[in-house]
Amino acid sequence: MSRIVACYKWVAEEADIRINADLSVDLSKAKGKISDYDRNAIEAAVQAAEALGGKAVSLTFGTQKAKASLKDVLSRGPEEGCWVNGEEADNADSSVTARALAAAIKKIEDVSLIICAEGASDTYARQIGPRIGAILNLPVITSVAKMTFVGETLQAVRKLDDCLQTVEVELPAVVAVLPEINSAPIPGLKAVMAAGKKPVTEYKSADLGVDLTPKTQVTAFKGYVMQRKNIILSGDVGENVAALVAALRKEGVL
Amino acid sequence: MSGIFIYSERLDIASELITFAREAGKPAVLLALSADAAQSAKNLGADKVYYLKGESPLAESYALAVAQLLQKQGSELFAVGATASGRDLAARTAGYLDCAMVSDVLSVSCADGQIQTERMMYGGAVLQRETLSGLSVITVPPGKFESSPPGLAEVEVVEVSSDPRVRLVETAPIVRQGTDLSKAERVVCIGLGMEKKEDMKIALELAEVLGAELGCSRGIAEERHWLPVEQYIGISGAIVKPQLYISMGISGQVQHTVGIRDARLIVAIDLNDKAPIFKAADYGIVGDMNQVVPMLTEAIKKMG
Repeated sequence: MSRIVACYKWVAEEADIRINADLSVDLSKAKGKISDYDRNAIEAAVQAAEALGGKAVSLTFGTQKAKASLKDVLSRGPEEGCWVNGEEADNADSSVTARALAAAIKKIEDVSLIICAEGASDTYARQIGPRIGAILNLPVITSVAKMTFVGETLQAVRKLDDCLQTVEVELPAVVAVLPEINSAPIPGLKAVMAAGKKPVTEYKSADLGVDLTPKTQVTAFKGYVMQRKNIILSGDVGENVAALVAALRKEGVL
Repeated sequence: MSGIFIYSERLDIASELITFAREAGKPAVLLALSADAAQSAKNLGADKVYYLKGESPLAESYALAVAQLLQKQGSELFAVGATASGRDLAARTAGYLDCAMVSDVLSVSCADGQIQTERMMYGGAVLQRETLSGLSVITVPPGKFESSPPGLAEVEVVEVSSDPRVRLVETAPIVRQGTDLSKAERVVCIGLGMEKKEDMKIALELAEVLGAELGCSRGIAEERHWLPVEQYIGISGAIVKPQLYISMGISGQVQHTVGIRDARLIVAIDLNDKAPIFKAADYGIVGDMNQVVPMLTEAIKKMG
């Protein structure tokens, strides 16, 4: 049975990020979550597996913290989970992540389709799908808003900046899907219970035999503060509205 | 020819990237992936144009050929216009080269053979600065540099094999259900703090007196389906640059605020005085939108 691999990333919840007064970034209080857009990629893999008569497999590259993602991702429908466990994930750039994921994909048998989201909600670099395709020398289709399968042929509708483009490819292939491709359902209790019983394969990053040294050198990572006036009015609504209109007139936007 | 290699199917971005190469003191070498593109590219003021001639009509299918050309010519940097197609080509080229790539830079500069970039992370909450050495790839959004003065460049045709595996079936223009928010001068935006679909009336009335377009958060478009997906603002949606942006019921998660960062004035109306949107706002009113917004609409109407 062919396997459809959904790649996802366990990321920090950005709403929990604290920016300190010196602009240093505090991620210690941030809860983990499956990157928002990856939820649609996972659902797309589950649907593709149904259409192709295959099996959806989830795949992530993450530190020890990503262990918490396994039950969550499997409750979303994949039948098997795969985790590349490595501390390198913390400082990984896109080249490292793509190499780690591609190496793991090579270990998964009979892969017909690899599905990524366009980008992760932390970095949103939108590189992983195309890079995996290049590393494995597979065809790639990005910005996918719709997929249909006829036999082993995938027909995909890509949403580009100014047009919709329909393309075709014979599987195996890599696709990067847009969040609008489906509405990822919130898993029910039954699915959550079943997730714990699904098989998980863990690889240690060191055993993959690939170089996990980043190609970019990060020289600063700091809070970005929008310089805004922050004039916030509360109290009497009538007065506030009048004050706002006066201010907007003075700013020359009314 | 070494130097900064440039690709964008958008001529305006290609021209801006030529200026970037000039400012960096490097030759600007433009890539064209079709006969038409080569025709336009030669007049943009680059030092040289390579026309990679292959079979595929899809730019992305030239990634391996581009990677090979960059290596052969000793390119220092591949700068690509940040469009859907450009990002794909750029990332795939970086994959074939197994080199560094920084996506959608906020800024880029070149000094002493090193490239310095800045980009946003966590939807705009964090700024990351990176240094790239050796052949690297960046994607650059429009508007980062001035256009280059036009000028004629020599075109060299290079016969290449494009990747035949992805086949183009058809291309159709996007039928926009919504409006093009990226060009709007004024935007009124609704978020999940709006309780009922009927309440959209207050937003529409405000938009009408302002001559504004209506936008929304991702949840309104993708969860509630009140507005088409083209109308949601944020990192994965529309990026707006209006003179005036007024939100109601938007909490201001970073994924949304990154889409309004370039607005000149941000006004927020929300019930929760601790909503992060107020930190991103120039002016804010803490209060019930169903009270505040109709009064605001009336007040603007009275101004005439």
